[in-house]
Amino acid sequence: MMALLSWLEATGFSTWVREGETIWAFPTILTLHTFGMGLLVGANAVIDLRLLGIGRRLPLAPLRALFPVMWGGFWLNLVTGSMLFAADATKRGTDPLYYTKLVFVAIGVAVIVALRRRVFDAAENPGVDGGSGKMLAAVSLATWTMAATTGRLLAYVS
Amino acid sequence: MGLTIPHLHLLLNHVPTVGSVAAVGLLLLALVRRNDDLLRASFELMFVVALATLPVYLTGVAAGTAIEELEGVSAEAIRTHETAALLAFVWMQITGFFAWLALWQSRRLPKLPRATLGTVVLLSVITLALMGRAATIGGEIRHPEILATPGAVTVGAPTGWLQSTVIADFVTQYPWVWPAAEALHFLGLCLVLGVLLAVNLRILGAMKALSFASLHRLLPWGMLGFALNLTTGMLFFIAAASQYTENIAFLWKVIFLGLAGAHFLYLTVFSRTWGMNVGAEAAPLDKLVAAGGLGAWVGVIYWGRMLPFIGNAF
Repeated sequence: MMALLSWLEATGFSTWVREGETIWAFPTILTLHTFGMGLLVGANAVIDLRLLGIGRRLPLAPLRALFPVMWGGFWLNLVTGSMLFAADATKRGTDPLYYTKLVFVAIGVAVIVALRRRVFDAAENPGVDGGSGKMLAAVSLATWTMAATTGRLLAYVS
Repeated sequence: MGLTIPHLHLLLNHVPTVGSVAAVGLLLLALVRRNDDLLRASFELMFVVALATLPVYLTGVAAGTAIEELEGVSAEAIRTHETAALLAFVWMQITGFFAWLALWQSRRLPKLPRATLGTVVLLSVITLALMGRAATIGGEIRHPEILATPGAVTVGAPTGWLQSTVIADFVTQYPWVWPAAEALHFLGLCLVLGVLLAVNLRILGAMKALSFASLHRLLPWGMLGFALNLTTGMLFFIAAASQYTENIAFLWKVIFLGLAGAHFLYLTVFSRTWGMNVGAEAAPLDKLVAAGGLGAWVGVIYWGRMLPFIGNAF
């Protein structure tokens, strides 16, 4: 495992991301990762807040359009996140906080899939949602809050 | 000729005082005349003045650093002014928030609740007094001619917890404060961006089955995110001012923040977007403004993230 992480960290690409003295290396990749977070967690928060009762008169079905925004943010961050991991593979790959973040992301993605299926696709009229919608929304909000928080705190572990 | 940050402070520093006088005057006139249009105009002015107060405070810190070593300038007078300015700044932001809330409510409700109106009146009068006080003490730093007795300053040394040195100590003393504030700053970012994405995407043509008014309901959540980020952002600035005052990325971030704030006001009050019913298509100009508003937030986030890379923040 460690050998694999060391190899990954030593590749030309990882070295460029980590040490490249250009704005396009680490700074831009990290900035894109921030935008991806904003798209994914932000759009998700709007759906969650609506399901939890904010703006009840806001029809639910059209908010379906926010799912592509969330997935766009997710894929952007899968790519940029993998790059950032590769650049510091031995550090991240041995950090419990990093794996904690990944667990939150995994749960969060599963909840988004469940929200789509159970709340948006299942009902004929998604405006009328049952208890499961509220529950999923609460879990989603909490999970993505934790994912963003643990992710941000990664900057402060040595 | 180069425009320095201290010079910028001297250009901007009359805006909060004169602006508050104008806004409070307009507010009182509106109440006497029972004119709702005038009343909303006073709230709008209050919000804009609150927005403009941010660069006044930020440039003031840079100006203080630039002149505190000069002969004939009392470092104590600067610190007293800075503390008075911070207090006035906090009240100005709270006033600006309630003025915004009043605008948001006047859009949605047939009649503005008396509680909101009373709160704005009270807060704006307090802010005006505190702003006048901060400005007076500021004048004493470089204008000995206004003092009755030469060498005497009107206000004693600052006390209490609301001073930059006390806040800076708090942030740097505990190793968890900065990371915790950063985490909150990023959550606030998500909230602001999420709400503004939904609202602006609708104007741009997505989610046409929603009326603009139904999305307008979400704006306070965007405001909550913004308030969170203004608070945590001020903690960073106060704790490590020099890494921001000498940072080109921070200058750009504040410029984009001003644009984003103006756009937020536009989303709250403008009639053209408010009138967009289910299925309605926005006019090209409104779409342009929506794209510009999102662009302003992209600018805020980009320059914020680039603070340590293009600029010198840690």
